[in-house]
Amino acid sequence: MTRTFRIAAREYMAFVRTVGFWLSICLMPLGLLSVMFFSGMALRSAPTPRIAIVDLTPGAHQASALGAAAASGKPFAAIVVAAPPGDYTTPAAAGATVRPYLSGDRTTPSGDKLDAVAIVRGSAVDPSLDLWTRNINEPALQSRLSDALAAAARDARLRKAGLTPSQIDALDAAQPMVTQYSPRSRAGAVSFADRLPAIAGFAMGIVLWSLILTGAGILLNSVIEEKQNRILEVLLTSASAPEIMGGKILGAAAVTATALVVWVTVAFIVFGSANPALIAQLAALFISKGLIFYFLLYFVGGYLMYATLFTTIGAFCETPREAQTLLGPLMIVLTIPILFMGQAVTRPDAPLLQTLSWVPPFTPFLMAARAATGPPPWQVAGTAALMFATTAVELYVAGRAFRTGALASGRFDFGVFLAGITGRGERA
Amino acid sequence: MRPALELAGVTKRYGGFTAVGDLSFEVKPGAILGFLGPNGAGKTTTLRMILGLIAPTSGELEVLGERDGRRVRGRIGFLPEERGLYRRMTPVGAIAFFASLKGVPEAEAKRRARRLLEENGLAQAADRQIRELSKGMSQKVQLLSAIAHEPELVILDEPFSGLDPVNQQALEGLIRGLAQRGATVLFSTHVMQHAERLCDQVVLLAGGRKVFDGNVADACSAAPRTLVLEGPFGCEALAGAPGVDSVHAEALDDGRTRLTAALSSGAPVQAVLKAAFDRNLEIASLELKQPHLHDAFIALTGPGEG
Repeated sequence: MTRTFRIAAREYMAFVRTVGFWLSICLMPLGLLSVMFFSGMALRSAPTPRIAIVDLTPGAHQASALGAAAASGKPFAAIVVAAPPGDYTTPAAAGATVRPYLSGDRTTPSGDKLDAVAIVRGSAVDPSLDLWTRNINEPALQSRLSDALAAAARDARLRKAGLTPSQIDALDAAQPMVTQYSPRSRAGAVSFADRLPAIAGFAMGIVLWSLILTGAGILLNSVIEEKQNRILEVLLTSASAPEIMGGKILGAAAVTATALVVWVTVAFIVFGSANPALIAQLAALFISKGLIFYFLLYFVGGYLMYATLFTTIGAFCETPREAQTLLGPLMIVLTIPILFMGQAVTRPDAPLLQTLSWVPPFTPFLMAARAATGPPPWQVAGTAALMFATTAVELYVAGRAFRTGALASGRFDFGVFLAGITGRGERA
Repeated sequence: MRPALELAGVTKRYGGFTAVGDLSFEVKPGAILGFLGPNGAGKTTTLRMILGLIAPTSGELEVLGERDGRRVRGRIGFLPEERGLYRRMTPVGAIAFFASLKGVPEAEAKRRARRLLEENGLAQAADRQIRELSKGMSQKVQLLSAIAHEPELVILDEPFSGLDPVNQQALEGLIRGLAQRGATVLFSTHVMQHAERLCDQVVLLAGGRKVFDGNVADACSAAPRTLVLEGPFGCEALAGAPGVDSVHAEALDDGRTRLTAALSSGAPVQAVLKAAFDRNLEIASLELKQPHLHDAFIALTGPGEG
């Protein structure tokens, strides 16, 4: 055991003493904050689009509603400019008129470059909209203009039906009040606090996935380096294969735990200053509702499962390129829980999700994501038992294979790998 | 006295290939044993079996009184053929780490590491990262890592490879020092000069099988002494001379010939020289060469080896 701890301590210190480790740890939250900050800034600093509105309906009553909708709202407010002169009567004619302006070849008489032209046809009660835009991937403008036109048409129909403007306003004000109730909600009506567990569960699954793969990746690189340098052979003359594996797995676990502590601390500081109530709710959720227990349970199970696998693969590879070849199929499998974790929030009882939760490689992530929505206890116990049983078998096989891999030389040999994992390799 | 190491009929097969076949020998405590053989002779496989890293297919071995080298890990020091250390560790850290794995308390391991580095001229490099050291210095650090726990049995796989002559000499001194301290040293090499200077006992391997086990003098006696004559004569000059087994002639640039006569075991040199003088040979130079381990190795394994 002493040897295991010594190897773990060396492994831990080898990582935490490097500047690169702290940089990567700090860069993760900093990166997230930067993405949020810069994406907002990029949106704000983008040039304001200019739109011209051509209302061909009798009376041209829609133009003001469309103009108001275009000039307000998120994520950007457009500037409404005068439409360039030309023929808009048919779609083909309108196309010929606006194309030079939208392609940037011409400017309007007022000197504006156009980004969009909205042409309203038909009547006030039955309008249609032709929207010409330079940016075909921006849906917000179309959505806003469509809503505005629909509202204007509705008003026109109501007025035609004999309602006065004040009656229409009263009608608009009389929106039904919708309240969602659930037996899961203590207060009856569902609030954000009730939805928080599912969101926290999803976040927990994602964090677990990242942490486990980070730890396993650290191990993989560390073992490959030791194999390249023949340090593994020397280690094997000083400690048993399980002691070496155990030490390395423990050391990498401590590294990932350090990363987690830093991230959680940063999150508490950032979110705590912005929304102290949220922190209190999350703390209550993790401690009093036992989410922390699930987190630890699935972290231990999942980490052991993947760390053992990656360590064993590393022992058979002398270069990261060889390891990548072996890990390719595994990484494809690992994307499956990511695809289904979102369902754990919206459809926690989906049969496919429940079935996948029983597949041991997916259990840690999917059950962590489902934990907050209260899956049946028998499922929690059953999936955890299966996960740990699989991990125990994997540890047994990997312990035997590790020595074979560590002593093998040359390029990766599938025969040696198979002999190692089936126990026909060298001494375990 | 019980041997420090004993192998009896040890064989290691990989499928149909026999890496080591029916190998038997023993080493007395405190002896320096040279494990000699060309590349692929089975030296590293044997060392790995002694260390308990791989199991023999058949046969028995006993290491420091145990049938499995893994049970006496803490009493063995090992230097592998292909060297490597944690590049970001300091020499002190690396030596202390490996010593601590062998059971030396951490504080004591660090003290020993500093002392060893000082004794071996590496005090200045003690706290630099290993990646900043020269290859020779790194190799020295690795050797010190293998012996810092003061093992009873030291196994060195090709310890001289990659070292310059100065460091090779220093390593020879270190190996002698280990033996003087009472440790049994087993090292593999295919460079015979080191073994000849250092070893109390040599085991020669070829093709996975033992071809000799004994001391250096006995090994050398397996090769013939040679008498080398140079002059204006041919092979027939020594034909039929008493005590001469065979003669090899080599033409020299100046028109003379170099004759190398292999002498029979126990044949008096004087009789051969007398025969040469009786034949009035115009001898420009003569030299009696005692066989070296290299000659013995060639004689024992055949010219195709080594």
